[in-house]
Amino acid sequence: MHIRVENLTHIYNQGTPLERTALHEVNLEIEAGERIGLVGPTGSGKSTLVQHLAGLLQPTTGRVLLAGTPIHSKGATARSLRLQVGLAFQYPEDQIFEQSVFREVAFGPRNLGLDETEVKARVHWALEMVGLDPARIGPRMPFTLSGGERRRVALASILAMRPRVLILDEPTAGQDPQGRRALWEKVGQWQQETGMTLIIVSHALEELARLVERVIALRAGRVVADGPTREVLSDARLLRDIGLDVPEPVALLQALRQAGKDVRTDRLLPAEAAAEIASAWGLRRAGA
Amino acid sequence: MKAIPIGMYVPGDSILHRLDPRVKMGVTLVLMTIPFAIHSPWSYLTLSAFIATLVLLAGVPPRTLWRTLRTVFGIAFLMFFLYLFTTPGEPLLAVGPIALTWQGVLAAGGQIYRLCLLVITASLLTFTTSPMQLTHGLEAMLSPLERVRLPVRELAMVLTIALRFVPTLQEEIDKLAKAQRARGADFTGGPLRRARNLVPIFVPIFVSAFRRADELATAMDARGFRSTPHRTRMRRLHLGYRDLLAMLIVLGLVLTLIGLG
Repeated sequence: MHIRVENLTHIYNQGTPLERTALHEVNLEIEAGERIGLVGPTGSGKSTLVQHLAGLLQPTTGRVLLAGTPIHSKGATARSLRLQVGLAFQYPEDQIFEQSVFREVAFGPRNLGLDETEVKARVHWALEMVGLDPARIGPRMPFTLSGGERRRVALASILAMRPRVLILDEPTAGQDPQGRRALWEKVGQWQQETGMTLIIVSHALEELARLVERVIALRAGRVVADGPTREVLSDARLLRDIGLDVPEPVALLQALRQAGKDVRTDRLLPAEAAAEIASAWGLRRAGA
Repeated sequence: MKAIPIGMYVPGDSILHRLDPRVKMGVTLVLMTIPFAIHSPWSYLTLSAFIATLVLLAGVPPRTLWRTLRTVFGIAFLMFFLYLFTTPGEPLLAVGPIALTWQGVLAAGGQIYRLCLLVITASLLTFTTSPMQLTHGLEAMLSPLERVRLPVRELAMVLTIALRFVPTLQEEIDKLAKAQRARGADFTGGPLRRARNLVPIFVPIFVSAFRRADELATAMDARGFRSTPHRTRMRRLHLGYRDLLAMLIVLGLVLTLIGLG
């Protein structure tokens, strides 16, 4: 689904002493099926922007178009469009409220007005997508699950709505390294299987580099960079400028370059960097 | 998030902001009793002028004041009609058993006016006194009750903590409402439907509130919190010349009003 953001400005608490501009004249164009990473320091407007993409906020000025229709307009069309955008806030497990995992995941599909057979099919599908066994975990009480399992239930409850745009705000925050890796892999699979547009807010640049093809960087409510992942995430000056850590492989390659070695610095992943270094030294890596 | 919630603190540096909270609470009580003790139009005029001056001194934005007054519109409306039709006297207009009397019009108008004065006076206190100062003042004013073993200190602590978490909870409710709306929850419709639809917000709120309370208790315990020994304050209350002046002015006002009747 095509997304278009036009001159979007959002001011919180306008006209009070607490006034704060979170987004300033943001313009974006996102094609169906794109995989996008959204980066920027805390308070740069990432969360506000993704809430706008899901139609949860009223813009101060400007608008968001979903498949050509303004997402904030009243009426059934706009509502059904909004429901095609799935948004997982940070720590989505905090929103769990039902007595069983099944009912929790079924909440969204039921709100869509689907019949019970379809609801059941979707719950099963969604739980399988997040790597949980529907038969075993479906009847359980969410509060008896582990933190990692609850996170996956919450994500399943969004997937079960079959969104055409999926927005994840720091999906792996507070998870252990294994859980993080597993979750990142899953996210990639969901996108491949459904072809949905994927928008991920994250500080984990290396994981983003593996998953997304385009990165949008925000600072103080403005888009300061928007381009292919390799380009944006290897721009050390830009990253430092907006207060993000330069990926370690990039930092290493830059140090080598400054020391006079002829290496490319736009290698974001350790394996890529290793290959680059090996070829600069005229070595061939074992097994490569 | 909504703009400044109704009746809440408006940070500022006016003379009213700088008064001792105990003085402000005492004065507010006095000012809120006066409308029930005076009768003559001159008294009302004097009191209104006095309160209007306070509003100007406090520098409260008129819009904020208006929003506060709006919250009592419902009660005011009800009161107006009750007084209008139940006050006995010379009928101006009569439809069957229901009579509109001249006395009724006066009484209804007077009640509304009193209500407005009360609301403005009370909100002047909350506009110019931070919740922290309010509890501090309350604790100081209630401290004599410690003699009869009322746990004043603990109550003040509980109140401070509760106030501290109001904005946090508001923010959380806001976030949960959005999260559930993104899953197709609908918060419109009749009261019964709306109540049922609030379950997806209130269950998680309770869960997190209890978790927070638990964590806070553990954290306080870990730092050795006990309420019994007297704790010193970072900011101690002391009466200054401003406070004495304020009390004198209010005393003057009260005497004048007694004179006017």
